[in-house]
Amino acid sequence: MDIKILGPGCPKCQKLEAMTRETLAALGRTAEVTHVTELDAMMQYPVMSTPALVVDGVVRVQGHLPRREDLEAWLRAG
Amino acid sequence: MTALQSGASSLASYLAAHVLLCLVPAFFVAGALSSLVPKESVTRWLGPAAPRWLAYPMAAVGGSLIAVCSCTVLPLFASIQKKGAGLGPAVTFLFFAPAGNILALSYTGVALGAEFAFARVFLSVVFGIGIGIAMATLFPETGRERAPDQPLAPAPRPARGVGPLLAALVALLLAGTLKLWPLEAILFSTSWPSPRLAALGTALSNLFPSDAARGEEGVTVHGLALIGALVAWGIVSWRGLAHVDDGVTRGTVAALSLTALMLLFAALRVGVDGEALRVTLTGRTAAVALVMGLVATLARRLDPFDARQWLWETWRFVRQIVPLLLVGVFVVGLVRVWIRPEWVHAVAGKNSLLANAAGVGFGIFMYFPTLVEVPVAKLFLSLGMHPGPLLAYLMADPELSLQSVLVISTLIGVRRTAGWVGLVAVFSLGAGLLWGARADGAGMGWLLLGALGWMAAIGVLVKTLAWLINHRSPLAKAHA
Repeated sequence: MDIKILGPGCPKCQKLEAMTRETLAALGRTAEVTHVTELDAMMQYPVMSTPALVVDGVVRVQGHLPRREDLEAWLRAG
Repeated sequence: MTALQSGASSLASYLAAHVLLCLVPAFFVAGALSSLVPKESVTRWLGPAAPRWLAYPMAAVGGSLIAVCSCTVLPLFASIQKKGAGLGPAVTFLFFAPAGNILALSYTGVALGAEFAFARVFLSVVFGIGIGIAMATLFPETGRERAPDQPLAPAPRPARGVGPLLAALVALLLAGTLKLWPLEAILFSTSWPSPRLAALGTALSNLFPSDAARGEEGVTVHGLALIGALVAWGIVSWRGLAHVDDGVTRGTVAALSLTALMLLFAALRVGVDGEALRVTLTGRTAAVALVMGLVATLARRLDPFDARQWLWETWRFVRQIVPLLLVGVFVVGLVRVWIRPEWVHAVAGKNSLLANAAGVGFGIFMYFPTLVEVPVAKLFLSLGMHPGPLLAYLMADPELSLQSVLVISTLIGVRRTAGWVGLVAVFSLGAGLLWGARADGAGMGWLLLGALGWMAAIGVLVKTLAWLINHRSPLAKAHA
């Protein structure tokens, strides 16, 4: 599973990364988590606002933090 | 020593007079806008498929919703420009975000007067859209694929109950700050003898004298109590709101209750009357209490997840902006001692072209953190700056600083950045001249004529420049 967090380093983006890592650990799954901070790299995805979570190339959420249960569902399915 | 005293005085009167009833509700509004209103409700109008004529006004709306934080502004700017509606709307968005948001406007209204706040929001719309269209004309985008056939993204559903909550919060902001009859009316007044507080009041006014001529506000007993309350609120909120997104604790409840109590206390009129302490209930006190009750009722109806996100976001704004703002206010007070009114009079005391240019130039070369442009403007106003150059400064400063210009130039290139800076400067100059003429008593007809003339002049200038840039000889094009 390939996970990307898009965000230029704002507090919400850090929070999203922390939430993702915690949820992965709670599910007992391992995945590559990368935090993309370059604007040009972010523009590769259909994303208008940050933070955004991309799981296996699919934008799951953007512009706000997800609910824990949604996050769990995405990470379990991925 | 006098400088330090002036800095402390500026900070104290600022905290007591402006922060509470204006900025505390405004932070809650900003938090709600940022966390509860889905950004897609605006960004869907800024995508590649969006109609042009809608993209400009929606970009302005987006700028005022997405507000203060540059870390959301820049990614959105880049994506509107590169993948969305294009350079023009992106520039409109970029212009509106720092000047047209709720925090900047309500603070301007309280510190400089409602007139300046209206001028700021109205001119931000005109400037934002005008500069956006001018940029799109100057630097037309060729070869960038647009997808007019692609359907718009579906409208997202906003969180339940957000509209009424936002309305109630804005009502709270207005009830706390407007200087109108029913709010100023006295409902009930009582006093009891308190020689100690009276002595404290005298000591405070000796330490922080109020000087209307220099625009310095004194500190009263009420003000001192409010500062104490605000410090306590900061500490309690730090514990109660910083981790509210993980769950509501007793600290959260304490922080919110303290917020309500503090706002209520700020809406009372408390003063020393001879040897006695006089407490007066006004229409404002009643209105603030009523609207806060409404806000609490509506907030309870929010989904708990949404409510936690709202509080967390609100606290983040407070933490991000308030410390720098306090430092800024202190430094403004400190500097006030060394600036002589004669200098301000000499440079910008009259509404001349040069004075307005000085206002714009100061705006470009000085960098102030978010919102600090307001106390700086207030300082200049109290030192005798003419309203015209002051408005020119106020329009240019939040948009242009060496730092932001550097960041923007990495995104859109040096040439376009130069165009952006030039346009902001020219627009601000015109607005300053007209506003100054209005303050000097020019009639509405002349102002309208002046505004139209200025717009026409900018239009001709932009068209000519665009022609020069885009119809250069083939040789020049090959070099470019």
